[in-house]
Amino acid sequence: MKGRAHLVGVIAVAAAIALVPFVTSNAFYLKVLFLIGVNYLAASGLNVLVGHTGQKSLGHAGLFAVGAYTVALLTARAGWNPWLAFVAAGVMAAAFGVLIALPALRVKGPALAMVTIGFGIVVEKIVSEWQDVFAGQQGIYGVVPLAIGGVRFGPREWVWFTGALALAAHLMIRALLKGKYGRAFMAVNTAEVAAESVGISVYRFKVLAFVISAVTCGLAGALIAQQNQYISSEFITFGLSIFFLLIVLFGGSSVYGPLLGAIVLTLMDAFLARWPHIQHFTYGALLLFALYVMPEGLSGAIRSAARRLFPSLTRLPPLPAVAGEWRLSSAGEAPPAERLLLEARDLYKAYGGVVPINKVDLEIRTGHIHSLIGPNGAGKTTLLNMLSGIVPADRGSIRFGGKDIGRLAPNEISRLGVGRTFQNLKLFNAMSVLDNVKVGLHTRIDAGLWTCLWGLPASARQERKAGDEALRILAFLDLSEHALERADSLPYGLQRRLELARALATHPRLLLLDEPAAGLNPHETGDLIEVISRIRDLGVTVLLIEHHMDLVMAISDHVIVLDYGEKIAEGSPANVQTNPRVIAAYLGQEDDEDAEAGGDADRGALPAVDAGGGHRG
Amino acid sequence: MVAILQAVLSGLALGGVYALVALGFNITHSTTKTFNFGQGEFLVAGAFVAVSGLLLLAGKGITDPLNPDDVTLLRYAGSMVISMVVLGLLGVLLYYTAVRPFVGQAGLAWVMSTIGFGIIIQNVALAVWGPSAVVMPSPLGNDVIRVFGAGILPQEIMVLVASIAVMLCIDVVMRKTKIGKAVRAVAQSMDAATLMGINVSAIVVLAFVVSSSLAGLAGLLIAPITTASVYMGLTLALKAFSAAIVGGLNNPRGCMLGGFLLGLLEALVGLWHAELREISIFMLIILVLALKPEGLLGQRQVEKV
Amino acid sequence: MKFTSRIAQALVAGAAIAAASVCAQDIKIGYNADQSATAVADLGMAGRWGFEAAVEDINKSGGLLGRKLVGVIRDDLGSPPKSIQNMTELIDNEKVIAVIGPANSGNALAWLHIPQQQKIPVIVPIGTATEITLRYAKEPQNYLFRVSMVDREQVALLGAYAVKASKTGKIAIMADTTGYGQGGIKDATDILALHGVKPVAVEKFGPKDTDMTSQLTKIKAAGADVVIIYAIADGAAHTLRSMEKIDYMPIALGTWGNLSSVLPRIAGNKLADHLILAASTTEDSNPRAKSLGERVRKNYPTMTTFACAAQSYDSVMLLAAAIKLAGTTDGEKVAAALEQVKGVQGIIKTYDKPFSKTDHEGLSVSDFYLARWQGPNVVRFQDAVTKAFTPADFKK
Repeated sequence: MKGRAHLVGVIAVAAAIALVPFVTSNAFYLKVLFLIGVNYLAASGLNVLVGHTGQKSLGHAGLFAVGAYTVALLTARAGWNPWLAFVAAGVMAAAFGVLIALPALRVKGPALAMVTIGFGIVVEKIVSEWQDVFAGQQGIYGVVPLAIGGVRFGPREWVWFTGALALAAHLMIRALLKGKYGRAFMAVNTAEVAAESVGISVYRFKVLAFVISAVTCGLAGALIAQQNQYISSEFITFGLSIFFLLIVLFGGSSVYGPLLGAIVLTLMDAFLARWPHIQHFTYGALLLFALYVMPEGLSGAIRSAARRLFPSLTRLPPLPAVAGEWRLSSAGEAPPAERLLLEARDLYKAYGGVVPINKVDLEIRTGHIHSLIGPNGAGKTTLLNMLSGIVPADRGSIRFGGKDIGRLAPNEISRLGVGRTFQNLKLFNAMSVLDNVKVGLHTRIDAGLWTCLWGLPASARQERKAGDEALRILAFLDLSEHALERADSLPYGLQRRLELARALATHPRLLLLDEPAAGLNPHETGDLIEVISRIRDLGVTVLLIEHHMDLVMAISDHVIVLDYGEKIAEGSPANVQTNPRVIAAYLGQEDDEDAEAGGDADRGALPAVDAGGGHRG
Repeated sequence: MVAILQAVLSGLALGGVYALVALGFNITHSTTKTFNFGQGEFLVAGAFVAVSGLLLLAGKGITDPLNPDDVTLLRYAGSMVISMVVLGLLGVLLYYTAVRPFVGQAGLAWVMSTIGFGIIIQNVALAVWGPSAVVMPSPLGNDVIRVFGAGILPQEIMVLVASIAVMLCIDVVMRKTKIGKAVRAVAQSMDAATLMGINVSAIVVLAFVVSSSLAGLAGLLIAPITTASVYMGLTLALKAFSAAIVGGLNNPRGCMLGGFLLGLLEALVGLWHAELREISIFMLIILVLALKPEGLLGQRQVEKV
Repeated sequence: MKFTSRIAQALVAGAAIAAASVCAQDIKIGYNADQSATAVADLGMAGRWGFEAAVEDINKSGGLLGRKLVGVIRDDLGSPPKSIQNMTELIDNEKVIAVIGPANSGNALAWLHIPQQQKIPVIVPIGTATEITLRYAKEPQNYLFRVSMVDREQVALLGAYAVKASKTGKIAIMADTTGYGQGGIKDATDILALHGVKPVAVEKFGPKDTDMTSQLTKIKAAGADVVIIYAIADGAAHTLRSMEKIDYMPIALGTWGNLSSVLPRIAGNKLADHLILAASTTEDSNPRAKSLGERVRKNYPTMTTFACAAQSYDSVMLLAAAIKLAGTTDGEKVAAALEQVKGVQGIIKTYDKPFSKTDHEGLSVSDFYLARWQGPNVVRFQDAVTKAFTPADFKK
């Protein structure tokens, strides 16, 4: 249904782009259409970066410049074929996209804005100051426009070519965002740690998003330089970076957002030009109030208006019925029980004077449910974070399935088969329950970047397969009826369970659960015990942190007790319960002389009582 | 040698202006996690309001040319009050129209709205005062003072003294007084501050008033050196923002340090190759952030997992 | 998704309305310059009101070819992309038959090819870059004309003075990083080379910079006793202030842009009269100029640079004369007629065949002179050096 409407739309737009230049020969109108195409092109890639991956860039004029100056220098100075130079502009911009991504990866929020602003200004200054090469404000004249059969593009050809390019960009980006890549970008946007925990390399996807936006901005620059046959440093301004960002923010993050933004803002720019004051004021007022009136941008406002007018649009598509119980991919070759799965030796971590993990050894054996207990501040979550790669150990080694994972990134550890949940829920809130699980299946979907970008049939096939499996996982955890709801609309208990479903979707061999029962009522806790047992029965080894002693005692095969970052006891639940050091740690009878190291107000409280969130980890 | 001394003196004066604006970024960011992206236009407004204030005090029309005799120290002080009050009011307006609707929201809606507010301010300024630079004579005159052969304008000394005095004041207020503690409490946690009976919304409005007044003050101080121009805001605000980020946006002292560092750096790089000033400064900023994302004196924000 | 097609419809409808509303009798000419966005806007505004005054005068005396002359004003915000867009709009949408503009040389360089390809005559009333009229000089018809100062001409004048006035032969160039300044460095270096002089230092500063002490320190260290400052009035004024700051007062030569009263306002009267500048015309040079100044001030009371208004006014007058001579508004014929016009009464002078096939400069070195600010007025500057000038000194 939706696919067909889209196809009709695309054909209509393609027809319009093909026909308009025959209807009007007014070169100014054609120029405006060309500019809409160029601005859309730049914004469509930027939308992937800003709208989907959440990296707010205020320096994309720099990437526009890379594209523009690449074609200018290659055609006007080096005598390249304009088509070749156009392609080179895209490649060059991609390279610079990587370059700006590298420092940008390390920073967030205002500092990211600063890094991108800095990049934009450095490029602006280089092209204006290094006059021997870039000719500064005088500009490079004689940029060779694209041509077919020796005939240079005229206004019509530019509209056609840019229109075709914009359509191609739309189709490719739409195809990309529909599948695993789109979900991965959103995952990186909402919760980086959680994205890593399901095998998504935050690093790789941020770089990819930067590169996509760089290519489209670079091509936009190349188009402008070739159409004008001229480029100068005055084209590259901070204002241009802001303008691109505005198109995206004003249009909204839907794939149609940049289109709407580009149309409205370009037309405004072109047709209010005769009244500069009105133009400026309109511009200012639009910026000031647009997002107040339309929080989701223009595309979001239109969508919700359409839904109000045609309630049928809100009807959700029926889910396909899926048969069969969910199984682990390795179910057939389940390893024999009691094999050493994970082995940590002499783990040590210190934050200044605080030592949350002090020389801890750990052995996890297949088929078991291991519990990690200890008073608040004992270092349990830190240990879990070390095992899943979020916190690097200062000393010590971790081997998983015989492989050293001590220096691996969280996403690599996840790919090896370590799944996890979080004490403070880290769901991809704006996504549906089903999509959250599909993100968990990320590494299971083989479709590569090119397959997705070109929307090849293989990607659709994989997507359907993933959808089916996600539904089976939801059925396994009794979440099927919520499949299409937004993750953050679920009640708390179900959100916890959804996180479990997402972790399971990675087909882990070892599942790390950080306080899975926190905030659950007794009934839900009972359900959880049953769920964890079923997960074990699938062949998944479990290590869980928990304060509910009844839960721990009910399902654990093996209990490890931490206190002040040290392992003070381990063994069967019964053994541990009677261990005097454990009792001392929980009841606080021991001397508290080193309480500073991990001292906590509610130390000594009985663990079964202080259930709930908000523990320090 | 004289050249270096000259550069250091000019750099410190310019750095004082950056530091004032950077401090303004810090104050609103620590309380609301937002700041005014149109702060440069506020600075412009501060300068022009001061020019008109001086003219009014001299009994002239607000867009007449300003003569050196019109500017006395007393009138300058008066125009400072006028400028800071007007800008403070603008800050309140900014907060209610451009910031409050978006506080606490993810995304950068407030970036767009504050830029929009700035554009409107700039256009009002353009309509009232026109595109050409307006000269604002220094109340201390224009005669160059010689310090070991290096020339320094009296106004530069005034900028340095005034900015340091204001920053010291704010530093003391923030750490010693009840209201300063309230601001810091709000910065730590709005919810906890509310529970402690602090009027959080009043504190937040105050933050915008102070931030905007500082921009106004910066405009008024720099105008006699650079002339007041509708277009001077962007560059100054960008550099002040850089200063805040490099020094540490969440640390007021970091912002001040960043301001002076940037001013000095700019002047010293200028000695070597004036045209490489911006390139080297921003490259350095990118490098600093890549190595120390929280800024020189900033505190690392640890995400809890 | 149907937006694009709807826009296409709207565009078509708009085109129809636009076509209908143009009165076939009117002759439209465009004015495209920065009027609001950079420091040059001041020059653009003065030019705009000079342009409007000329259009008014022509219509008062019966219009052109029995038709009314209509001026279409566009603001290019000092930005080349905008300036290009405005040119396309003026030529293709407004169907103007000629354009007066722009103010920034850089903007002209960005779109020179558009009027040249579309055969629309352009007279540049403000931008001074030498290349503007030269780029298409070898084409069968060059459509770019100018009634303004020309970099190469003013440098010829300044260079001649610099070489004669310098005692040590050490001359330095100080220029802003705009297209204007950069073109100026090239022209000045070339002209000085003709005199056999190589500048001892070439320093640059940003168009918004206000502290040039570091650049001047280097120039001072190089031992220059004459400095040619290539910038508009703001930059020159701040350079003078920085000179005072580092206690270095060489002979300072400035460009035509310093006719703007911004110079004495920023630098103060004492420093302003230190600068010797190349001038084209001033408000008090004749009664016509005085009356035009008053008319422009009615619309634009803060006018600083009268020369722009005068040059813009004269540009329109020359264009009108050419249209009359050609008896048509056809671009090709008007451009050819511009090369033939004679005896056109303007503000600056009476133009007697100002343009020729090879020379598209309405003003030349004989119309320019050295001047300096004295209080509120620009006065002709004369000293022993200028009195000793011979035409052979103006090498170019």
